[in-house]
Amino acid sequence: MVMRVTENIKFNTIVDNMFRTQDSYNKLVEKITSLKEINRPSDDPIGASRVLNLRESKASVEQYSRNIDRGESWLTITESKLSSAGDLLVKAREVAIAQSTATSSAEARNSEAETVQQLINEMLTLANSKYDERYLFAGTKTGEAPFSSSERSATEIGTAAAAGGNTFDGTVTSSGTYTGDVNKTYVVKITGWDGGARTATYSVSADGGASWVATGQTFDLPAGGSVATGDIGDGIILTFDDTGAADPELAAGDIFYVNAFAAGHYNGNGGELSMNIGEGAPFAYSISGEAAFTDKGAGNVEIFDVLTSLKDALENNDQNGIMALIDDLKAASDQISKNISRCGTRANRLEIAQGNMADMELNLTGLISGVEDADISEIITKLSMKELTLQASYNVASKIGNLTILNFLR
Amino acid sequence: MSGIDILNIARDSLLSHQTAINLTGTNIANVDTPGYSRQRAVFSALVQSVEIAGIERIYDQFLGVQINEQANNLGDSEAKKDALGRIETVFNETAGGGINELLNEFWSAWNDLSANPSGQAERVTVASVSQSLASLFRSYGDDLLAVQDEANTRVSSLVDQVNSYVSDIADINDRIMQSGGSATNSPDLNSLKDSQENLLSALAEIVDFHYVTNADDSVSVFLSSGMPLADGNRHWDLDVVADDQTALYNVVFEDDPTVVINSSLTKGSLAAFLEIRDTTVAGYLESLNTLAASLVAEVNTQHRLGYDTNQDLGGDFFFFDVDPEVQEARYMKVSADIIADVNKIAASATVNGDGGNAVTMSEIKDELTMNSGTSTFSAYYSSLVGQIGQDVAYVNRSFDHHTDLMTQLTNKREAISGVSIDEEMMNLIRYQTGYNASAKLFVAAEELTDTLMSLVG
Repeated sequence: MVMRVTENIKFNTIVDNMFRTQDSYNKLVEKITSLKEINRPSDDPIGASRVLNLRESKASVEQYSRNIDRGESWLTITESKLSSAGDLLVKAREVAIAQSTATSSAEARNSEAETVQQLINEMLTLANSKYDERYLFAGTKTGEAPFSSSERSATEIGTAAAAGGNTFDGTVTSSGTYTGDVNKTYVVKITGWDGGARTATYSVSADGGASWVATGQTFDLPAGGSVATGDIGDGIILTFDDTGAADPELAAGDIFYVNAFAAGHYNGNGGELSMNIGEGAPFAYSISGEAAFTDKGAGNVEIFDVLTSLKDALENNDQNGIMALIDDLKAASDQISKNISRCGTRANRLEIAQGNMADMELNLTGLISGVEDADISEIITKLSMKELTLQASYNVASKIGNLTILNFLR
Repeated sequence: MSGIDILNIARDSLLSHQTAINLTGTNIANVDTPGYSRQRAVFSALVQSVEIAGIERIYDQFLGVQINEQANNLGDSEAKKDALGRIETVFNETAGGGINELLNEFWSAWNDLSANPSGQAERVTVASVSQSLASLFRSYGDDLLAVQDEANTRVSSLVDQVNSYVSDIADINDRIMQSGGSATNSPDLNSLKDSQENLLSALAEIVDFHYVTNADDSVSVFLSSGMPLADGNRHWDLDVVADDQTALYNVVFEDDPTVVINSSLTKGSLAAFLEIRDTTVAGYLESLNTLAASLVAEVNTQHRLGYDTNQDLGGDFFFFDVDPEVQEARYMKVSADIIADVNKIAASATVNGDGGNAVTMSEIKDELTMNSGTSTFSAYYSSLVGQIGQDVAYVNRSFDHHTDLMTQLTNKREAISGVSIDEEMMNLIRYQTGYNASAKLFVAAEELTDTLMSLVG
C-alpha cells in the first residue's frame, strides 16, 4: 500500500530539514568566528578536559620562566658586585706589597692607610648592595643591611623581640653568652598556656622558625613577676617579665625571637634564597655574605678584618705586619673569585633551564592549538557547501502549497 | 414497485451523500488542527437504498501507544538537555576566565610574592587574585544551586500540569460515557476521542503511565507502579510536600501525603527534573564543594606555618562565611584580616622575611591532594569539566535521537490519520457526482410520476 502524504507531512518534512541545515550552518559559523573547534565542554569532553590541563602546564612553565629570569638578574648583579670587590682587594694587595718593602716610610704608610680606609668604605658599600629592595649578601635576612662598619670582638646576643600580634604585653629580655660560631636567629613559640597554673609550654627553633628542635619545654610565669627560660640553645636565655603589664596572659601562637651573632662585622646569616625552576626543582640563587666575606660557615677569610688590620699596620708603620697580611689578602681574593665562579656556574644552569622552558612552552602551545583550534580552510569549505544546501531548502520551502490538485480544478 | 420507491431511494442517497460531503468539509476545515484524526462516512447498503452506517475515525491505536512512549522519552531528554545546558554554560572555560585560569593565577601570585616578600604590590596581588578565586567558587556554587532550585520549582509546576491533564481526561471520560460510547459513532464522539488522545500524549511527556481503553471508550490511567490517576469520571490528584531534611519537594498523592512516590516516576520530564535535582546537580555540587574544602584546608594549613611581616604566625587564609560552618563552595571567602591588612599574608618560612613559605605555598599545585592522593587540584577540576561535557553531550544525542523517532512516528500517524487536501478534493468530486446522480433520480422519478399521471388523467 502506498503511503498517504498529507499537508502536515509535507510541511513538517520541509521545515524540519530546513532547521537541521540551519543548525549545522550555525555551528560552522560559531567555529569560524571563535576560531575554535571546542566552544563548550560538550563539543569534545575529552578535548576540553585536556585543554584545561595543558593550559595549567603552560601557566606553570611561564611562571618557572619568570623565576629563572629573576634568578639570572640576581646572579648578574651579584657577580658584578663581587667582581668590583675583587678589584678592591687587588688594589689593597698592591698597597700591601708596595708598603711592605724597606723603601717605604712611616709618612707614606700613613697616607696609604687613608687609601685603605677608602677601600674599606667602598667594600662596605658593595657588601651592603641591594637588588629590588632586598640585600644581596644578607643570606635570608634580606630586610636588613648585613655588614656594619663596627666589629664585634666576641659573640653577641641581640635584643629579644616579640611578634606584633602577640597576646603577651609584658617585656622579654635576652641574656647569656652565645656559644655558637655562626649567626643564628632563635625563636621561642608558645604552644600552650595554662592560665590557672600560669605554666607556658613552648618550642624552640634555631633557624628562624622554620623547624623546631625542642618542643614541650615549660616555664611558670608568676603574676607580676618574671621568669627566665634557662638555656634555650647555644647559651641564650630569655626572661619574661609581666611587671606593670595589665593582663599579662601568654597565648599559644605568641612568637619571641632573638638574633645571636658570631664575632665580626656580619649581621646576616648563611642561608641562600631559593626558588623553583621546575616542578620539585628548587634552585638556590643567592650567595650569602657569610660565604663571600667572612670566615664563618662556608667562608674562610674575614675580609673586613684583614683590611682593617692592614690599615692599622700601615698607621703603626708595622712593616712585618704588613708583609704578613699579603698572603691573607691573596686568600681573600681567592674567596671572592671562588664565589664569582659559583655565580657563573649557577647562571649557566639557569640558561639551560630557560632554554628548556622555552621549548616546553612552544610544545605546549602547539599541543593546545592542535586540540582546540579550528582548521579554517576546512570549515570555510564546509560552510559554502552548507550554504548551497540551505539555499536549496529555502527554494523548496517556497514551493509549499503551490502544487496541489486545487491548481487544476476549474 | 412505484415511482415512490425511487423517491425514497433518491432521498436516502441524497441525504447520505450530503452527509458525506459535510464530512469532507469537516476534514478540510481541520487540515491544520493538530491531533485531528480524519473521519470517513461509512456507506452501507440497505435493502434497496443506502444509509450512512456510521462516521469512522481513522486512527491506529497501537501507534498511539508508541507515540506516548516516545513522548515520555522526549520529555525526559528535553528536560535534561535544558538543565544540563545551563550548567555547561557555568563551567564553560573554553574562552578562559574560569576556575582553571584563576587557580593558575593564584599559584603564580604566590610565586611572585616569594621573590619580594615585603613588596606591597605583590601582597596586594595575592590578596586580590585570592578574592577573585573565592568569588568564582561562590558564584559557581550559587549557579548550581539555582539550577537545582529551578528544577525543584519545575517539579511543583509539572505536578500542577499533571493534575490539570488528569482532570481533563476524567472530564472527557465522563462525556464519552454519557454520549453512549462507540455504539453511536458521531463527529462529537470522534472529536472527544481526538482530545483524549492528545491529552494522553501531553501527559506522557510528563509522567510515565499505563492506560487501558475500556469497552465504553473511557480510559483508565495508572502510574507505572499501579496507582490510579484517572478512572471513569474520577481522578486522583498529585501534590508536592517539602522534605523535612532537604526542604526540596517530594511528589505524593494528595489523599496520602505521607507516602513519597518519587521512585514510582521513572521517565518523563517530572522524573527527569527529580533526577537532575537529586542526582545530577547534587553530584556536581558535591565535587565542587570537595574541591573548595580541600583547597581551603591545604592553603590554610600551609599559611599557618608561615610568618607575616610582623613576625606573627599566619592565620586562616580562606574561610567559609557561614555559621555553623559548612564547607561549601558558595561560602568561600578570603579572611577579612588579610583583606584589611595584606601584611598579614604569611609569606616567609622564618621570622627574617625570606619568602620561603610563599614558595612552598605555590608548590601545592603539584601535590596530589584530591581523589585519595591521586590527582592535583587542577586535574580534579578539569576532569569535573570533562564529566559535565560528557553528560551534556550524551543528553544532547539522546534528545536528537528521540526527536527523530518522534518525527517518524508523528509522520506515520499523519499518514494514517492526517487530512490530505488532494484526497479530500477527490472525495468531494466523488460525493458531488453521487449527489448529482441522486438528484437526477428525483427528476427521473418526477418524470415517471408525470407519465403515470398523464396516463390516468
